[in-house]
Amino acid sequence: MIAKFSLTFLITLLLVVVLSISSFAQFKLPQYKKFELENGLTFYLMEKHDVPLISFSAVFNAGAERDGEHSGIASFTADALRFGTARYTKIQIDSLFNFYGSNLTTYATLDYAGLSTTIMKERANELLPIIKEVISSPTFPEEEIIKRIQRWLTELDQAKESPRAVIGSYYNKLIFGDAPYGNPVDGTKAGIDKLTRTVVQEFYSFNYNPSSSAISVVGDFEAGEMKSLLSELFNDWRPYPVRTIGDLFINESPFDESTVYLIDKSNATETTFLIGGYGIKMSNEDQTQIDVINTILGGRFTSWLNDELRVNAGLTYGARSRFKAYKQSGIFYIYSFTATKNTEAAIDLAIKTYNRLFEKGIDEETLTSAKNYVKGQFPPDYETASALANLLCLMYVYGLTDSYINDFENKVDAMTVKLANRLIKRYFPKEKLQFTLIGKADEIRDVVKKYGKVIERDITEDGF
Amino acid sequence: MKYILIFLISAVTVLAQVSADDVQTFTLNNGMKIMVLENHSIPNANMYLFYKVGSRNEYPGITGISHFFEHMMFNGAKKYAPKEFDRVMEANGGANNAYTSQNITAYTNWFPSSATEVIFDLEADRIANLNFDAKMIESERGVILSERSTGLENDPLEQLWDQVQDVAFFAHPYKWPVIGYESDIKNWTKEDLENYFHTYYAPNNCVIVIAGDVEFCEIKDLAEKYFEPIPQGPKPREIHTVEPEQLGEKRVFVKREVPNPYVLISYHVPQTGTEEYYALDLLKSILSQGRSSRLYSSIIDKKQLAIDIGTAYWNAFDPTLFHFYGVCSDTVTAAQLENAILTEIDSIINSGVSENELQKVKNQKLMKFYSTTETINGMANTIGTYDLFFGDFKKLFTAPDEYNKVTTKDIQIVAAKYFTRTNRTVGVLQTEEVNQ
Repeated sequence: MIAKFSLTFLITLLLVVVLSISSFAQFKLPQYKKFELENGLTFYLMEKHDVPLISFSAVFNAGAERDGEHSGIASFTADALRFGTARYTKIQIDSLFNFYGSNLTTYATLDYAGLSTTIMKERANELLPIIKEVISSPTFPEEEIIKRIQRWLTELDQAKESPRAVIGSYYNKLIFGDAPYGNPVDGTKAGIDKLTRTVVQEFYSFNYNPSSSAISVVGDFEAGEMKSLLSELFNDWRPYPVRTIGDLFINESPFDESTVYLIDKSNATETTFLIGGYGIKMSNEDQTQIDVINTILGGRFTSWLNDELRVNAGLTYGARSRFKAYKQSGIFYIYSFTATKNTEAAIDLAIKTYNRLFEKGIDEETLTSAKNYVKGQFPPDYETASALANLLCLMYVYGLTDSYINDFENKVDAMTVKLANRLIKRYFPKEKLQFTLIGKADEIRDVVKKYGKVIERDITEDGF
Repeated sequence: MKYILIFLISAVTVLAQVSADDVQTFTLNNGMKIMVLENHSIPNANMYLFYKVGSRNEYPGITGISHFFEHMMFNGAKKYAPKEFDRVMEANGGANNAYTSQNITAYTNWFPSSATEVIFDLEADRIANLNFDAKMIESERGVILSERSTGLENDPLEQLWDQVQDVAFFAHPYKWPVIGYESDIKNWTKEDLENYFHTYYAPNNCVIVIAGDVEFCEIKDLAEKYFEPIPQGPKPREIHTVEPEQLGEKRVFVKREVPNPYVLISYHVPQTGTEEYYALDLLKSILSQGRSSRLYSSIIDKKQLAIDIGTAYWNAFDPTLFHFYGVCSDTVTAAQLENAILTEIDSIINSGVSENELQKVKNQKLMKFYSTTETINGMANTIGTYDLFFGDFKKLFTAPDEYNKVTTKDIQIVAAKYFTRTNRTVGVLQTEEVNQ
C-alpha cells in the first residue's frame, strides 16, 4: 500500500510538472463600444449573438456607504425605483416584464446601486422605455413605501434566523465601526422604520445622476441601432440641480488589539465565524495575484483551510477565506462554522492553518497548481451576457480598464514563489486579528476569551 | 520553454441556436450512455455524470447513504489516493462538485478543455476502483453531520420540509430527508458503503453529458479507452413501493423559536414527464414565478400577509409532492396565511386561469430555455436531466411544443384533481404550539 501511495504521488507530480509548461487558451474581453451622452451618462455596448437575449445592467453612485443618518436608505431607494414611474404603475412594470418572461431587479451594495434584467431581443422596444423611466423618473408612491417598510422590518428579523446571512454585517461593523463601510446594506429596523417618501425622494435626487451612472447592454442586437435607441431614450434624463458629493474617504484606523465580537443566538447549535482584518481596494494592482494566494489558503476545495478543517478534521462542511474589495477599502476574512462543542478546536485550527502562510510560505508545486486553477476557472465567469454586462458596469464603478481581464493571465503567470511570499507579508493581516462569532454565548463565552477582548450582544437586538 | 496559444473570444460566438441534432450520443458495450455537445465559445468544457441512485433507493438504517456516498467518491480509489482526485483536478485547472436528490446523484466537473483526458482518467479510476479508507469514512461522517446541522441552523423551512415529507408519505421512500437521519449517519458501516457502490455505481446505471470545447471523436476515443473496460454491473432492484392514496388531510407541527410562523402545504401529484406534468409545471409558474404571479401579487403585495411565498415541484421518478410555502408577516397567524394560500388555490379550481397568464408562463418557459442554452453547464445539466426524467434528452427540444399544447382548461383540471383537502398535508413551524 505504501509503495502504491508513493507511486501515485510521483505520477501526480509528473502531471503537475507537465502542466506547468503547457498552456490554456487565453480569455480576452470581447470587443465593446463605449459612449457618453451630453448629460454625462456613460454606455457600454457589446454584441453577443449566441442566444436571442439582451442583458441590461446599470449602476448608480448611490450605495449604502451613503446612508448617512438613514440606515438602509440606499438599499430601500433602489428597491423603490420599481414602485412606479411617471407613466407606469408598479403592477404594470411587474406585469410587463413578467409577461415577456423577464424580471427587473434593482439593488444596492456598499459602493453602488444597480439595476439588471435580461429580456428577449424582440421585446427591447416595449421594455427599454420602462427601464428608462424606472431609472430617471421614479415617483415613489407613498402607499407603496409604507407597505414596503412593514415587510422590510419583518425581513430584518427573519434574516437573523440565518447566521450566515447576517454575519457579514456584524463583521463590517467590527472592522469599520461607524465609518460608511460599517453600514449594514439592508439597514437597521430603527433606520428603516423612520424612512418616509420625502427622505427617499431626497436620497434619489442627491445620488441618482446621469453623470455618475453607467448602463451596459450586452446581447443579440446591432450596436448602431442600439446606440440610437438608447441615445434617444436617455437624452432627456436631466439631473437634479447638481449637488456633487465626492467619494467618501475611509480612514483605515489600525486595530489596538484583537476583538471578539460575540453575537449570542441562544438557540444556535453551531458557531459561525469570520476571522480577519482589512483587505485591499478594488483598484489594487496586486489583486489578481493576491487572489492566487488566497486560492491556496481558502479559495478552493483543496485549499489549506478546507483541507485541514473539513477533510482532515471533519469539523465542518466548509472553510474558506476571501478578500472582499471595495472602492475605498476592503476586508479579508476566514469563514467557517462548526458544532458548538467544537468551536475552540475549529478556530484554533483555522488560525494555525492561516499562520502557515507566514511561517512556511508557499511552495512551487502548490503555486503552480493554484495558477492553473484560477486560469482554468476564469472563462466561465464571463460566459453569459448578464455576466459581461455586470463586468462592464463594475469597470465603470471601480475605474478598471480592459487590462483587468486581458492581463489577468499574464499577471497569474508572472507569479513566483518569491513574489507570493512578499505579497503575503504585505497584504494578509497577521497581528491583532478581528473575530466575529455567532453562536450560543453561554457555551462558548469563556472559551473565546483567549482570542481577544470580548464584546457581546444579543442577535435579537436591532442592528449589527 | 513556455508557449502560449491565444484564442481570442470574438464578440460573435460560434454557437447559434442549439438543436437536438447538435447532441451526439453513443453507448459503450458496458451500457454507459454518453451525450456530447460541442460548443467552442469558451476554451472550457464539462463532464456531468448522473447515477440513477438517490435517497429513494435507501431504507431505514441506511438513510442518507446516497448522499454520504456522493462525498466518499472523492476520497480515494486505486490510482488516485485519498485527496488526489481533487488535487489533480485542481492542479489541471478543473473544479468539481456533486449533488444528491431523492432520485439521482450527479457529479459535475468543470475544466479547461486541455484537461479533458485527465478528467476521464480521474473518473474511470473512481468508478472502477473506489477505495474505502476507514479514516476518511470517519472524518466524512463529521463533515456530513456539519452539513446537516448547518442546513437546519440557517433555514427553519428545511426543518419543516423534512417533517412534512415524513408525514405526507405513508410508505414510499420519499419519506426521509436526502441527508438522512442523524443516527443513521453516525452508524452505517464500511460494508454498507461497499454494497451500495457495487449495486449502484456500475457504468450501466450512469449517463454522462460532456459539453463545451471538445470534439466528438476525441470524446468517443477517450470513453472507449477509459470507461469501456469497466465491467457492467447487475441491474439495480426496482423501487416497487407505491404510495397508497391519501385518505384525509394530515397536519404536522414543529416547535422552533422563530420571529414569525412558517407554513408548508403539500399535495400528492404525478411524477416528471407524465401527461399532467406540463400543466402542473405551468401552474407552478402561474402561482409563483415573478412579482405578477398569483401568490406574490395577492398574498405579499395586496394582502400583505407574508414576507416570502413560493411553490416547489421537483423532478421525480415516482409520484411526488407539489409544495406551497410561506413565511408570515408580523401579527399574521399561520392559520391566516394557510387560508390565504387555500383561497388562491380555490380560485384557480373554481375560475381557472386567464389566457394572458398562460401566455405569460409559456413566455417564461421559452426565456428559461434560452438562458439554459447560453452556458455549457446549463446545457449539460439540462440534457442529462431530460434524459433521466423524461426518458430522452430530445424531449428538451420538444418541451416548448409540449408546453404550448397546454390549455387553460388543462390547468384548471389538474388543480381540481390534485389540490384537494384529502390529498394534502399541512405543516406549521412556530415558537409556540397553538390550537387551530
